[in-house]
Amino acid sequence: MLTLSLSSDGYEVLTAPGGEEGIETFKGESPSIVLTDIKMPGTDGIEVLKRIKDLNPDAEVIMITGHGDMDLAVEALKLDASDFLNKPIKDDALSVALKRAEQRIAIKNKLKSYTDDLENMVQIATEEVKRRSEFQNKLITTSNDAIIATDEKGTVVIYNQGAEKIFGYARSEIIRKVNIEYLYPQELVSQFAAGLEKGGQVDLSEWREVSIVPRDGETVPARFSGSILYGEDEVVGSVGFFQDLREIKRLQEELIRSERLAATGQTVASLAHYIKNILNGLKGGTYVLNVALDRNNTDKIKDGWAMIERNVERISGLVLDLLAYSKERKPEPENCFPNEIVEEVCALMDGRAREHDIRIVRKSGPWIGEAFMDPRAIHRSLLNLVSNAIDACIFDSTAKKRWLVTVKTAMEKDHMIRFEVADNGIGMDNKTKENLFSSPFSTKGERGTGLGLLVTQKIVKENGGVVTVESKLGKGTSFTILLPYREAQKKATIGG
Amino acid sequence: MAKKVLNVEDDADIRTFVSTIVEEIGHIPILAKDGEEGMQKVRGERPDLIILDILMPKESGIKMYHQLKSDPSLRDIPVVMLSGVSKRTFLRSQVALTEFGDETVPEPEAYLEKPVEPEDLSEMLNKILS
Repeated sequence: MLTLSLSSDGYEVLTAPGGEEGIETFKGESPSIVLTDIKMPGTDGIEVLKRIKDLNPDAEVIMITGHGDMDLAVEALKLDASDFLNKPIKDDALSVALKRAEQRIAIKNKLKSYTDDLENMVQIATEEVKRRSEFQNKLITTSNDAIIATDEKGTVVIYNQGAEKIFGYARSEIIRKVNIEYLYPQELVSQFAAGLEKGGQVDLSEWREVSIVPRDGETVPARFSGSILYGEDEVVGSVGFFQDLREIKRLQEELIRSERLAATGQTVASLAHYIKNILNGLKGGTYVLNVALDRNNTDKIKDGWAMIERNVERISGLVLDLLAYSKERKPEPENCFPNEIVEEVCALMDGRAREHDIRIVRKSGPWIGEAFMDPRAIHRSLLNLVSNAIDACIFDSTAKKRWLVTVKTAMEKDHMIRFEVADNGIGMDNKTKENLFSSPFSTKGERGTGLGLLVTQKIVKENGGVVTVESKLGKGTSFTILLPYREAQKKATIGG
Repeated sequence: MAKKVLNVEDDADIRTFVSTIVEEIGHIPILAKDGEEGMQKVRGERPDLIILDILMPKESGIKMYHQLKSDPSLRDIPVVMLSGVSKRTFLRSQVALTEFGDETVPEPEAYLEKPVEPEDLSEMLNKILS
């Protein structure tokens, strides 16, 4: 009777005469809804319910109860029965119960599919997060730049391979163990400390050059940029990026060296010219000397020999300039007296100056005594400048000037000595001034190699100094060299 | 008869060299170290030949040559250019300076490019002075 009712509602109906059979049928057919009597001989409804729920917890089991089965009904509900129907079963009651069962099945299915979807999406999202995190980690670890991040107190929490390379300390020595005040260069420490404390007011983002003192080895030149990090409203930490400039500086130096080499190539033509002149001077000298020896003319012998000597001296100067120009020379400081070196140079040039009515005036700074500097560097640079100053006067066509070359020394602050070579000769126009230090450039025609100033600049730079020039066309020129010095080294005394 | 040969040259070594050669061929060397002194010596000593350098401070050889050839009383003194500057360049410079209008600047007697062999210079001087 029930079967008929159910079939007409469109259900496929399976029946079983008792509990065991019902369970067997359930195993075989897996129906979604089960209707079972509660009271049955043998395996009763409760047992059927339990066993079916074991097999499929999602099966909807509706208990058919009789009068007085209330306790059993409650127990069934506790065991997750979906519903119960009282005998005699009315059609509409049956319909309702079935409908509710179906709804529950539908909800369960939806939930399952949502859960599956959700699990899937979470997995995708997790993988994405993992991928990005791995990517960022890779960025940090493989970056050649040092990336150092700290917490709000300044304790290092990120210290990548790049940092190991620059700072020299291993990660294990630094992470969570060291505060940046022990790691960063001094100039940055105070700024970071201020930033971490006050936030907002400290801008560290502009790239600037710093010097890093690593664990071992030489100071590393680096470029630095950093930031204070915020979460919500408060400071949560900081980050610093350091770019190792050693390679860049090495390439820059190589570039300069190869430019200098190329310039030396350009110079070859003018050098050949210059050398040719010297050779002619030598040839002329030997000619005059030979004639003089033939004639037994002592004065002429002296003249001829002087010609030869002068040109040998010019060759010597040229070779020295070339060597100084093309080789990297490490300064060789020693105890010396800068004012004495100035006097030497002026004495060397006095003769030539006098030939052309030029006076060399010395103004030696009184406080300059003994210093620890490279005397040859000072000598060579000043010699070039004084020679140029004399030439500037010779080439000045202004009538009746009283030509003066002044060589001055003075102490400057920050342990520097200032050497000034000034003349009141022909002066330079802007074009000449601009090209002065850039390449072999000579306004002296056959006489100049163009190397003099370049050599001076190179020597001064190698010794940690700087050269500047002031000039006015027609009025004169002044070259200033600033060189650092150290106190004269005391000789060690042995014994006591 | 010994003639006066003026050498206007800023390089002392070359002055010594030229004056030796002049003496070797039996003449009298007169020296000047730039164009200004050169013109003074020309008017003062009246040389029979001038050996003139071009690249000099104060007054260059170009200017002095032009002055010599524009002065009727000096124009006829033979001038030998002795310079590192090429002949062509020198002549171009003279054209640029010309005040003669239609007249072209007379070319120098000889043009010798430095470096010069002693024999070549003495041969040239002999040719002109005899």
